[in-house]
Amino acid sequence: MEQKNLALQNQAVRLNQRKSRLKEYRAQISLFVMVIPCMIITFIFAYYPLSGWIMAFQNFRPAKGYLHSKFVGFDQFTFLFKDHVFWNDFRNTLGMSVLNLIFGFVFAIGFALLLNEIRKLGFKRLVQTASYLPHFLSWVIVCALISNILSTYDGTLNNLLMSLGLIDKPILWLGEQKYFWWIVSFSHVWKEVGWNSIIYIAAMSAIDTELYEACEIDGGNRYRKMWHVTLPGIRPTIIVLLIMNLGWLLNAGFEVQYLFGRGLVMDVSETIDIFVLKYGITNGNYSLATAAGIFKSVISIALVSITNYISGKVSEESVF
Amino acid sequence: MKKFSRVLSALLVSTMVLSIAACGSSDKTSDSTTSAQTSVTSTTSATAEKDAETGLPMMADRNDPITFKVFLRDPGQAPSKDNPVLKKMTELTGVTMDFEFLVGDLAQKVGVMIAGGDYPDAIFGEAPKFVDAGAAIPIEDKIVNYPNLKRHYAKFMDKMKAGFGDGHAYTIENYNAYEFDPPVFQNGGAGFFIQKAVLEDAGYKIPKTVDEYFKMIEDYKAKNPTIDGVKTIGFEVLSDGWRDFCLRNPAMHLLGSGNEGDVIVDQNTFTASLYQTTDTAKNYYKKLGEEYRKGIIEAETFTENYDQYIARLSSGAVLGTFDQFWNFQKADDALKAAKKFNRSYIAVPIANPGVKDNFIDPPAAITGTGGLIITKSCKNPDRLLAYYDYLLNRDVQDYLAWGVEGKDWEKAGTTGRKLTNERREIMRDTAKKRDLTGDTLWQYTPKMQGLYEDGTPCDPLCSKEDYMAALSEYDQNFLKALKVEFPAGVLSAPVKRADYYPVWSFPIPDGSPAKTANTRFVDICRKYDPQLILAKPDQYDALWDKFVKEVEAGNPQPYLDEVNSQIKTKMDAAKK
Repeated sequence: MEQKNLALQNQAVRLNQRKSRLKEYRAQISLFVMVIPCMIITFIFAYYPLSGWIMAFQNFRPAKGYLHSKFVGFDQFTFLFKDHVFWNDFRNTLGMSVLNLIFGFVFAIGFALLLNEIRKLGFKRLVQTASYLPHFLSWVIVCALISNILSTYDGTLNNLLMSLGLIDKPILWLGEQKYFWWIVSFSHVWKEVGWNSIIYIAAMSAIDTELYEACEIDGGNRYRKMWHVTLPGIRPTIIVLLIMNLGWLLNAGFEVQYLFGRGLVMDVSETIDIFVLKYGITNGNYSLATAAGIFKSVISIALVSITNYISGKVSEESVF
Repeated sequence: MKKFSRVLSALLVSTMVLSIAACGSSDKTSDSTTSAQTSVTSTTSATAEKDAETGLPMMADRNDPITFKVFLRDPGQAPSKDNPVLKKMTELTGVTMDFEFLVGDLAQKVGVMIAGGDYPDAIFGEAPKFVDAGAAIPIEDKIVNYPNLKRHYAKFMDKMKAGFGDGHAYTIENYNAYEFDPPVFQNGGAGFFIQKAVLEDAGYKIPKTVDEYFKMIEDYKAKNPTIDGVKTIGFEVLSDGWRDFCLRNPAMHLLGSGNEGDVIVDQNTFTASLYQTTDTAKNYYKKLGEEYRKGIIEAETFTENYDQYIARLSSGAVLGTFDQFWNFQKADDALKAAKKFNRSYIAVPIANPGVKDNFIDPPAAITGTGGLIITKSCKNPDRLLAYYDYLLNRDVQDYLAWGVEGKDWEKAGTTGRKLTNERREIMRDTAKKRDLTGDTLWQYTPKMQGLYEDGTPCDPLCSKEDYMAALSEYDQNFLKALKVEFPAGVLSAPVKRADYYPVWSFPIPDGSPAKTANTRFVDICRKYDPQLILAKPDQYDALWDKFVKEVEAGNPQPYLDEVNSQIKTKMDAAKK
């Protein structure tokens, strides 16, 4: 009897809920209408292009179109996964990306922390502006700059090392495989450190000043304040950015590798993006390129989900 | 607040409706324009009327203006709207040519165009890709309706039809469709180039082998460690992207082959084989390694990009390079403009000992797959062809290539012609040439090249008199000392090429195993060739074996099969 009552009660509650939800919908109708254009745009630019994935299962020829190209099942994927060049490119992508991620984070956070400690406002602004300006330079220009610095033919770095007596013969920095990944990640650091630190500086300015005062009362010096107040204060920002960046892990950048990728360093410079460009756009093998692109997307989604899950468990910070 | 949101949503909805309506209406207008254009189908070429100012014929439908958009594979700048010659041509024909020059990377631009199916009216460049994508319309049946086009392409038609293997001709070859062969002045293609000063210093001796060539460079560099304050560089090996033929191709020429591309072809059996893995290639890269250790070649050359390469050559401090002349012509022009004539380059006949050099192609050398294509999106192919036909009138060609007699050019001898000094100055200045002459239009449309039947040169570049008049005093003396009439005289005279020639022009279907095999093979060479050069001598043989093994593992056979089958098709087509 009591159980029955409870069930009835539950039903009534649910009905009420549904009614109130409908009411809520009706009240928000204008908001829904406003969302529609965004949804249309999302559909056109994010979902509709996915229909092109069908190419990966075909032997796609532009002359024949989607409808008349031959379906080949998973042949393109089989070719891709059996191809040692593809796996080599996969390794390069991952390697450079992880280096970029680690150095990008460490330098941006470190830079933001240092900048946050500067007392003179004018100087702080000057440094901040100067450091994020390279972000607006094209990679073509940055790469030309770097290749001049690293040149064996009167390059700044070689000249410096020679005059310090550290080396007796110029090093062909851009021609040696072991240096390539480091050159890529340090050029990224140089170009992006200022820009990436902006968001941390913003997060730091939102930290309650009372916390610093409390730390001071407890006898904390500036290093203690950095460690116990500033860093925990920007932890949510760091985690959210980390999750979002992990989704980009298979995008190791493209321009630097493309511009510096000569025969000598091809084994370590080619990334999946260059593979897609070479076999897809340049050679017109759109199917193979699409297959490689799909592979990349699937891995990226998996990476984001996994990090999001882990960080949700560990620290209750997650994006979705 | 509620009221506000309602107003806002109404606003949003109405903008959306409007924008949809706008899309719809623009579709409609484009429909109506195409229908209007298709209604104009038959057009006659020139009428009997003549333009009073220039004496040129005029087209009948000149009062019905039309603009054709043409994509060009070359980077460059469109001529000014005030260009007097182009204005005149539009006035006489009603046709405006809207040239879209390449910005960025060609292969990407082409790939994007094909993927989107969005084509201009005509395209110059990468014809095989567009034909493969079904973007080009066959022209062999159309051309015969236009007298000038018909006559101009008659002797090339077989090769044009054999180009794509389906019996159709798609390309209107706008280069190298010569009337009668002009003299060859200099090697404009691939070759071992050397600074004139080096030959001068060696007592005008012509090097014939790789060893002699490098010996000369070594000797000169020892005597001249710097040139104009810049450290002397013995030899450059450009390795930047697709231009790395400078790195990969020399062995082909050492074997006495013409410029085929990635293979050499036996001229008796007509089968293709890889030259990259021959002993000639092995010895060549070994030799370059020796030169690297002697300091003649700088390792930097393998990492520099094209612009840095050109800058280096333009400084005058580079003694030699293997390249195609058009690829570094900018640098050669810059040296001449700076009056450093002894620093400009000349091609020398380097080949394996006992092998006859074979660098120069005979002038009339169309490939059958190069040139302009008319796309399936073309507004009015007949009108475009009629326009091309009109341009091939000899008077119009004279007007575009030479200009006005007396003002731009003058007679030399009975049939010869040369430019006036003022006009030559204009032609040397890129901006003036573009904005004051008909050069851009002449370049990117069908044209007469070589000599007319009576011996008159079709354009200044084919005129012996103009070539001689343009030579600097240094060059005149230099040629005299070498005892040749033209720079090309130091090389062997061109021999007639087989009908399939050259392999590089073959359309390899996109996405085919042959294409993938070709890309893979080129990548392996690209990777190993510099390593071979930089390798320590005792490791060279091991690295070479590794290279050969990797080439085999990459399986180039599908590519060779495709090439062999296309050679056969083309040779069979020519026999008929």
